[in-house]
Amino acid sequence: MLMLINFSALAHVAERLASLEVLLALLVGVVGGIIIGALPGLSATMGVALLIPLTFGMDPVAGLTMLTAIYTAAVYGGSISAILIHTPGTPASAATAMDGYQMTLQGKGLKALGTSTISSMIGGLISAIALLILAPPLALISLKFNAPEYFLMAVFGLTVIASLAQDSMIKGLASGCFGLLVGTVGVDIMTGFPRYTFGFSALEGGISLVPAMIGLFSLSQVMIQVEKMHEKGELVIGELKGSVLLTWQEFKNIWNTIWRSSIIGILIGILPGAGGDIASWVSYNEAKRFSKTPEKFGTGHMEGIAASEASNNAVTGGAIIPLLTLGIPGSATTAVLLGGLLIQGLLPGHELFEKHANITYAVIVGFIIANILIGLVGLAIARYVVKVSTIPSGILAPIIVVLSVVGSYAINNSMFDVYIMVVFGFIGYFMRKTGYVTAAVVLAMILGSMAEQGFRQSIVLSKGNMLAYYFSRPISIVIMVLIVLGLLSPILMKKWQNKSGIQTAATSDDN
Amino acid sequence: MRKNSKLLALAVICLFTLAILAGCGGGEKGAAKKDDKYPSKPINVIVSYAAGGGTDVGARILLPYVEKELGVPLNVINKPGGGGWVGWTDLLKADPDGYTIGYINTPNLMTGYLDPQYKRDKTIDDFAVIANHVLDYGAIAINPKETRFKDLKELLEYAKKNEVTATTTGVGSDDHIAILKINKALGTKFVPVHTKGAAEGKASVMGGHVDTYFANVGEVLAPHKSGELKTIGVMAPERSEFFPDIPTLKEAGADVTSWSGRGLAAPKGIDPAKLEKLVAAFEKAMKNEEHIQKMKDMGLAPKFMKGEEYVKFLKDDEKGVIEVSDLLGWKK
Repeated sequence: MLMLINFSALAHVAERLASLEVLLALLVGVVGGIIIGALPGLSATMGVALLIPLTFGMDPVAGLTMLTAIYTAAVYGGSISAILIHTPGTPASAATAMDGYQMTLQGKGLKALGTSTISSMIGGLISAIALLILAPPLALISLKFNAPEYFLMAVFGLTVIASLAQDSMIKGLASGCFGLLVGTVGVDIMTGFPRYTFGFSALEGGISLVPAMIGLFSLSQVMIQVEKMHEKGELVIGELKGSVLLTWQEFKNIWNTIWRSSIIGILIGILPGAGGDIASWVSYNEAKRFSKTPEKFGTGHMEGIAASEASNNAVTGGAIIPLLTLGIPGSATTAVLLGGLLIQGLLPGHELFEKHANITYAVIVGFIIANILIGLVGLAIARYVVKVSTIPSGILAPIIVVLSVVGSYAINNSMFDVYIMVVFGFIGYFMRKTGYVTAAVVLAMILGSMAEQGFRQSIVLSKGNMLAYYFSRPISIVIMVLIVLGLLSPILMKKWQNKSGIQTAATSDDN
Repeated sequence: MRKNSKLLALAVICLFTLAILAGCGGGEKGAAKKDDKYPSKPINVIVSYAAGGGTDVGARILLPYVEKELGVPLNVINKPGGGGWVGWTDLLKADPDGYTIGYINTPNLMTGYLDPQYKRDKTIDDFAVIANHVLDYGAIAINPKETRFKDLKELLEYAKKNEVTATTTGVGSDDHIAILKINKALGTKFVPVHTKGAAEGKASVMGGHVDTYFANVGEVLAPHKSGELKTIGVMAPERSEFFPDIPTLKEAGADVTSWSGRGLAAPKGIDPAKLEKLVAAFEKAMKNEEHIQKMKDMGLAPKFMKGEEYVKFLKDDEKGVIEVSDLLGWKK
């Protein structure tokens, strides 16, 4: 498989990366991502959605490197507040809080931070390397993907909504249906009929994805934060002593957990839609199952932190694989990243690895570097970053509102998109208040139109014999098998969770 | 008390958002004052397609040469969506003060208002045309590994007996209309597969899923050169300068031509003196050899037309679309 990597493009990576703009973008992405992640309420998805508009004018390598760096750094940053103040900065770090905060209470907070930093770094790094190795051959196969495969992949992705809906299946599915409905807005590409456009030309291309996501993820979150503004008491951060660095023995103890969780993370990342929040719980439960001392989990056990953190960072690289090769986002954050890619005029698929190979490989290598930087920067600043959790919402909220408006406008120079953002902000707010799942809406918006187009194109392509057409295509058959497995997986996951008696936190918008 | 302050905070946020929105909305329409020294400030050029697309690339090549003539900056503003009609609606709504002009693309412009489904009340007559810039003829390409047909003649023969799938960039696009015209002229059985864009269609043919790639010369040139696709026919009145060895449809027995034209227009009502200045500046820029060479390098064939000639061209385009409206299934 290594042969398929475009080495000539890889050789040019250094010169593309060694520009001041790219290096600055990397650093800003890592530090900014850690801070965004550490702020409870600001998630990786939201950070990327807010910063996409900033990347318009940037060189594509710099822009995309920054976005991917923010993604993985924010996932790591979420563990800092989870460990020190028992408030997961992102839903993906909910499992980290269980053992992390216990360690802080025992005065081993710095050690817990060190564990999470090392695990996140290694998890991210393994996934970034997986991205480099797996994406090019997959991109090659991408030409074999056509209407039937896209239809099936979209259906497969839609099954993941079931696993996003951890609180209430009905609400999860309802959110998905709402997203599907939103996805039908716009000109029907097979007949040219304008559906649900109400006479607005701006709606003929469908509801603009990025503004809708900024509304659902960012604006709605601001409203929720503002509500809670006066409820929060003073945050007390325990005294931090000792060293963040692990001893060799400690590292050896968690090494097995780290690589196992990394692989789980990558696999869950590749699945369309499923992100870090799911991966961290699955890995946590798996680590517990494999552990010789399962009773220690939840009492401040380093393996617990390592499992959750390695896997949620491993999700990032995994989730980028289907994004770059097929244009199918592997997680909610990569759904937003898709927008960042398209804005640069880069279409996912084989061209990314041929025509635009120089850019693509530079971004992938940049992503590897970002993960290393997380380790270095994290060890240096983690203990101070937690202070940002105390920034009052009164300062943060207006900044986010401004960025949301500017960002939505800038994408298509369209005021209409700003209105869409605001409307979806309110929709997102009420959904969150009532326990519906905003991530499911976004997934269904993207996958719904993909499924429709794929299905209707394949009707034409099959020339009258749909069933035979689908079953004559090997990749289609593989995906159909995956769909059946995917449908069974929530049931299996529930069984795992019940067995270990762990309640999944009420999550959802993110990874 | 706590509840009140919560509500208050929420209200403040809403107000804040609205204030920003209001701020964005204002100032879009400057008063149309008499302006003797036109142009005295930057001119906005609305491109109704996304940055990086064919229209956008052509615009960005041309505009620096126009800037030299007019002495003011020309800013490209991309307003994609609605098959181009988002940008065109904005262009028509703009003040006809000469500081907002835009690209108009045929036949998309016409199908956008001739298709009764869209209920649009604007037509080509609402624009004051400046000049045509690009004329990109249709082309047919196939997978280089295709065995059922090797050239245009074989393809047409094959298609008379068998269903052959063909990509289009959407309902009512020039590709779609060309497919319908060929079917009508020769009794072939080309089946349109609508896609969201030329890139998607290209991948479908390269992967062997769709039989033929109906696109434009500007879109088949690069993949033809790299060997990813094989161009077999051109839908122009005579052979294309980019493909001197490849026959036209006419040579193969089907008198069908198809093209996508891109030119510039201002909203109707613009001061004739200003329009004249614009036409003169664009004419000089478009006739600049350096510009022509740069366009050709991109596979975009420049074709300058102005005044009566351009209006007639657009009217012919409109007529061409009306002629196929029964094929497109449009009911009045």
